Amino acid sequence: MEQFSYTQNAPLDAIFGAFADPTRRAILARLAQGEASVTELAQPFAISQPAISRHLKVLEAAGLIDRRVDRQRRMARLRAEPMARAVGWLNDFQTFWSGNLDQLDALLTDLQHKDTQP
Amino acid sequence: MTNAQTFTLDRQFSAPQALVWRTLTEPALLERWYGPNVETVTHAMDLRPGGEWRLEMKMGRGSSFQKAVYVTITPIDGLVWLHSGTDADWNITASPMMPDWPHTLRTEFQLSEAGGITTLRLIWTPHDATEAELASFAGAVAGLGKGWGMGMTMLEALLTDLQA
Repeated sequence: MEQFSYTQNAPLDAIFGAFADPTRRAILARLAQGEASVTELAQPFAISQPAISRHLKVLEAAGLIDRRVDRQRRMARLRAEPMARAVGWLNDFQTFWSGNLDQLDALLTDLQHKDTQP
Repeated sequence: MTNAQTFTLDRQFSAPQALVWRTLTEPALLERWYGPNVETVTHAMDLRPGGEWRLEMKMGRGSSFQKAVYVTITPIDGLVWLHSGTDADWNITASPMMPDWPHTLRTEFQLSEAGGITTLRLIWTPHDATEAELASFAGAVAGLGKGWGMGMTMLEALLTDLQA
């Protein structure tokens, strides 16, 4: 239970660390389409199932996925809430700067308008 | 392994380069665009290498303090500063949401003008960062950059769907 609550509160850092790898991003993109088995996840990649399992462990520690065993199959599925927090944070960074530059655009228009006044 | 990655943003303005330069270097003008929908107050600006721009953004519930330490200043083509979040005494602090977000981002502004249009290019790179900070930034760049952009759009659609 303790491990579980830690996972639930995994900081955004762990989430972005998980994003930093292209294989893990591809796994997330695949899981966005729905739950998948480790075998299915390994198929598009030229890497072994144990290697996929290591990536899944990183994603699980970041709270981005849940894993379960269904009969003999090891399944993984995306968890929406931490992903939403991470996307929200990225949006904040981007919104801050695009908002700044929108204001700069308005300021430049204003300054030039003044310059042309007699 | 992670390596230092950069995040680049381009924006064009229909204004002469010399005027855009002024908006980057004059406190009264900087305060009018830096910090969307917040009141930005300059506490100090010393526009020379090693000098600092100390600013406070007044939010509804408090203030956010930041400082920029100038590295190079090349009128009117660009400038580089080291950007950090700080406490009220201008000591560099970690992001409360993201402890491993790079404490300091090298922030470069490049200006160029063609046909009356000035292009502003912004380039961010982690400065003097730890492995954890580099991984954090690399993950965010992956999210902000084009490669992951489509994935993000798809995931956002999924999230909207899941939260509906």
